[in-house]
Amino acid sequence: MPLLVGVFDRPDRVADVAKKLRGRGYEDIETYSPAPFAEVDDAVLEKPSRVRIFTLIGGLTGVVTGYAMTIWMAYNWKIVIGGKPFASIPPYTVIAFELTILFGGLLTALGLFVIGRLPRFRRDAAYDARFSGEEFGVSVRCRDRDVPEVDGLLRAHDATEVTLVES
Amino acid sequence: MTPPPPATAVTAMIRPAAAPRDSKINRDLLRVMEGTSPGYWLLLAVVVAFVAAAGAVWLWQIYKGLGIAGYVHPVFWGAYIVTFVFWVGIAHAGTLISAILYLFRAKWRNAINRSAEAMTVFAVMTAGLFLGIHVGRIWKAYFILPYPNQRALWVNFKSPLLWDTFAISTYATISIVFLYIGMVPDLAIARDRSTGWRRVLYAVLSLGWQGTSREWKSHSRTVLHLSGLATPLVLSVHSVVSWDFAMAIVPGWHATIFGPYFVAGAIFSGFAMVLTMMIPVRRIFGLEGYITPYHLENMSRFLLLTSLIVGYAYAAEYFIAWYSQVEPEQTSFWYRAFGPYWISTWVMILSNAVAPQLLWFKRLRTSVPFLFVLSIVVNIGMWFERYVIIISGLSREYDPAVWGIYTPSWPEMTIVAGSFAWFSMFFLIFIKLFPVVAIAEVKELDIHARSHGDGGGH
Repeated sequence: MPLLVGVFDRPDRVADVAKKLRGRGYEDIETYSPAPFAEVDDAVLEKPSRVRIFTLIGGLTGVVTGYAMTIWMAYNWKIVIGGKPFASIPPYTVIAFELTILFGGLLTALGLFVIGRLPRFRRDAAYDARFSGEEFGVSVRCRDRDVPEVDGLLRAHDATEVTLVES
Repeated sequence: MTPPPPATAVTAMIRPAAAPRDSKINRDLLRVMEGTSPGYWLLLAVVVAFVAAAGAVWLWQIYKGLGIAGYVHPVFWGAYIVTFVFWVGIAHAGTLISAILYLFRAKWRNAINRSAEAMTVFAVMTAGLFLGIHVGRIWKAYFILPYPNQRALWVNFKSPLLWDTFAISTYATISIVFLYIGMVPDLAIARDRSTGWRRVLYAVLSLGWQGTSREWKSHSRTVLHLSGLATPLVLSVHSVVSWDFAMAIVPGWHATIFGPYFVAGAIFSGFAMVLTMMIPVRRIFGLEGYITPYHLENMSRFLLLTSLIVGYAYAAEYFIAWYSQVEPEQTSFWYRAFGPYWISTWVMILSNAVAPQLLWFKRLRTSVPFLFVLSIVVNIGMWFERYVIIISGLSREYDPAVWGIYTPSWPEMTIVAGSFAWFSMFFLIFIKLFPVVAIAEVKELDIHARSHGDGGGH
């Protein structure tokens, strides 16, 4: 199926055209932005990213690991230190806190890889070095007979150029 | 229904691609990484020489033992621990700028966050070295980790030193993750504009980043969550370091104010170090258009605020020592100001609490040479602050029969000087390999201003 790419220089136009295209039933679209713009990203994917689940799981794993490790180790070889109970919650909270952050942070990074589908080993046909410059790209995959309409829509939203990358 | 147009007709209808043009921001900021002047190599050679000298002294210390350090009974925490705390403190500005200012949506951080984050990573690495240097028997340093062993012994989690191990290693890991994740979009920018081995390096490190909506969406979310996690972390790390002291009963250490006092001091010294490093970088690489007087002034305001907190903490320590009517506390603080370590104490008070008050004057706050000099004064003052706390505290504990005077030995001071070279060495290498200003974040502000400033848009 043909792949068209429109190049834009403003994020608001990208957001508008992405919404318009999706409204007309073109679902196979992708945007390329040089910087994060919530308006653009929300126009293509409405739902918030699910990275949060990774953070939550990581954090909970960390806090459980922190308390479990310290308490288990204290009971595994019992030595009375400073007359304190073996399971001394206040000092162990420091360890549990640090592990919450550590596991939470590492799993958040993993979340970026899983949810953001990174690393990506193949470059999109529509990608152009300009999109890491200051320009935006909107790529649309559509049927042959829809090419004129998509082309017209992209131009109507002030695309600085429209290219047929694959026909 | 009309039949679809033939493919040739469609191709004719499409405009050809224009000649690629690149953005000014990319050119300006990537230029920092290009080419190396003789001056750069000379500076790098000097710092590498210092690192080598310090390394040689350290090897000698491993061979001879800790006796070559100036430890005198009862002072067995000397310049190494002072410098460890100093570098952990320096590491705090990066995460403050990247995480806390990110959560507060302080957009001015965009120009300085990358360099501050890199400094955080290098400062933690430097601090970590000192734990190894200080313990003497470096080959047993792993004893601090809870690992299953033949003796079936576990580490003592009730000890603040263990908390420190977990805090510092977590901080090192999270700051590296933060630095790297934030840099991925910029590495893609560099990948698209470089050749040869650099292209390979950036292609691998940028993970095939293309800036799609899915990528940006998860990236923004990841940065947000990492900021949320790093904010309590940055406040906890120096609190935990302060508990290494505050949990002991040494007069002058055993104070509840130590947590906030150390955190404020850490942010204070961290901002000073960012100024010390970035003022020359901005000048040499012509980044005045990106790191503007506005950014420098904001940083100097932070310096002023944290200086006031630190000054308040100094005053509170003396007040509490007097008000508590505890004789060892009173004696300890008297000796601080008027005993054998009076020079360190007054250097600390003048550099950290008094000198930054000049920042009340706008003329000085916006003067770049003044800020540069002041940042160095603050760095010196903050090293002495830790010196005062650690050395003067230990040298006069409760029993006058075991008082002692510690003076750093030359091997210690060589290693301390080497740590500054070590830190600078990594920073020098970093600015030639990686974008020292967060390009995508600067662009975000620029494009936003351009799109919404010219009357168009929504």
